[in-house]
Amino acid sequence: MQKTHSMSVIGLGSRFSAWLRYVGLSMPIMIMFVILAMVPLFTKNEYVFRLLLMSLFFGAQAMAFDFTTGFINVVNFGFAGFRGLGAYTSALLVINLGLSTWLGFATGAVAAGILGFLTGLLTLRLRGIYAACMAWFVQLALMGLATVNVNLTRGALGLTVPAALDTTSTAPYLYILLLMSMGIYIVLSIMINSNLGLAFRAIGQNLLAARTSGINPTRYKLINWTVACTFAGLLGGFYAHFIGILTPDIMHFKHTVEILALAYIGGRGTLWGGLVTAFLVIPVFEYLKPLMEIRLIIYGMLLVLAMIFYPRGFAGILQKIGEMIKR
Amino acid sequence: MQIAAMWDLFVTGILRGGLYALMAVGLALLLGVMNISSFMHGELYMIGAYMGWFAFVTLGLNPILAILFAAVGSFIVGMVIERGFFYPLRRRSKEGWLLNAYLVTVGLSFVLQNAALAIFRPIYRGIRTYWTGSIRISPAMSISADRVMGFLVAVVTIVAFWLFMRGTKIGRAIRAVAQDERGAMLVGIELDRIHTLSFGLSSMLAGIAGASLLSINPAYPSMGLLPLAKSWLVVILAGLGNIRGAIIGGFIVGIAEAASYYFLGAGWQDVTSVTMLIIILLFKPSGLFGTEVKGILER
Repeated sequence: MQKTHSMSVIGLGSRFSAWLRYVGLSMPIMIMFVILAMVPLFTKNEYVFRLLLMSLFFGAQAMAFDFTTGFINVVNFGFAGFRGLGAYTSALLVINLGLSTWLGFATGAVAAGILGFLTGLLTLRLRGIYAACMAWFVQLALMGLATVNVNLTRGALGLTVPAALDTTSTAPYLYILLLMSMGIYIVLSIMINSNLGLAFRAIGQNLLAARTSGINPTRYKLINWTVACTFAGLLGGFYAHFIGILTPDIMHFKHTVEILALAYIGGRGTLWGGLVTAFLVIPVFEYLKPLMEIRLIIYGMLLVLAMIFYPRGFAGILQKIGEMIKR
Repeated sequence: MQIAAMWDLFVTGILRGGLYALMAVGLALLLGVMNISSFMHGELYMIGAYMGWFAFVTLGLNPILAILFAAVGSFIVGMVIERGFFYPLRRRSKEGWLLNAYLVTVGLSFVLQNAALAIFRPIYRGIRTYWTGSIRISPAMSISADRVMGFLVAVVTIVAFWLFMRGTKIGRAIRAVAQDERGAMLVGIELDRIHTLSFGLSSMLAGIAGASLLSINPAYPSMGLLPLAKSWLVVILAGLGNIRGAIIGGFIVGIAEAASYYFLGAGWQDVTSVTMLIIILLFKPSGLFGTEVKGILER
């Protein structure tokens, strides 16, 4: 009796996780999202909310970044530029045309997606370094434009952006971002688990073999690149209406490096590696703030050492531990 | 547009071009020999500038000696970095070596920049002039001696580098490795030593650029970003890994930048760069002077 009962529970659990996989979620990620959603029930500490929100924001970006780097092996070196384009598009349309913020998010995402598509169209047929460089230059140019066009963007003075919600608390924003990140995760992992993902992996691992089996690499790379840029723009739009003030610094190259490091330290080709790592790295960094540059040196060294000695990253370590437990 | 303004623009462009050529040659060398896409080239330039400042201001050396000091210093720094990071990376990773090496340069650039910030603080360390006085080239225009000397240093360095690559045994070995690694290994060239040496040389070129322009661009932790972007533009424009192309490309970009500054004003240089990139990638992605060094298509 007892036995059948527990059996059915296990059966239910496995059926639930099968259903989760069907909608593109996995059990650990689902648990993580649920825990995050419950945090506001236990604490009213704004500081904690803010920390969680920033971690999630960086984690979600690392996820979108990893979708390109981890699967088709091309580095989006202009990620912060696309994010910034989304942020500025959304903010400017909301301010000047009176769009609702929700529509603003969408236009930001579309703008970043279109620019991403065009950059990709031009460069993705070539070696990966061309796409990386082109995106990098686009990012520099966008930052330059945002700085120079003072009458539109107010340049380095900062553009005041209307808030998305009529509240002073961070918790509602955390929920929006949570939904957004979940949506991004679901879309990305559905793509990864479909035939598209198979093609991405094939291209990333062995281009020649992929081509021989009838995959048009440029087309798949372009799809991948555009999707990642779109999500960068979406997250940028959210950030603009959360933080309330935009400076061209949002497109600075150093932010791309931050996201890049997070994605790679987290582990390439996993999607969740960067997300999980963000929740470790961002709070620790907040705690280490008095150390100033030293923490950035540590951050850079982590990336370098991960590349040389353990390219699988933090996700690789977790996977290894998981295997050990199963055994 | 007046003739004088045109002449002014041209001279400014050529003077700038010397720097870009110097930086881009080092970048092209790395791409050609080791196939590393380096994003730490700007930081090597910064290290050169700090070394030049140290030698000129703290040690009180004469300008030429200060630049030589920076050259030797950054040569050593480059070799140490290669031995410390890229050598173990090359040994450990077979498959993803290209991407990993590129990411290591990104990480190191981040580390070096912040290390400079921690050690030297965000203070501009510049000098008034290396050489005082100015040179009159026409009744309407004179150029400070410093700029001319900076340009001369760049030209002399590039010529010396060119002769080194053409004439000496080591230079020929480097070129052999760039053409065919396996073939070079078969005739008894030690790959590891050539790699270390090439990295040192590339770093030295960046260091010389940084030190010789100290009076125009004071040493500062984040000073490397602009030269890095420009030298990448030059390298793509000329063709990846094409050293001769990088020299000419440096001057083209220098003049284009001066023109952009003249016609559009400050802040639009990056837009000009992107436009140039788009045009070249649309019509001749292999670069103005072509390259078959490591190919432009993914393999």
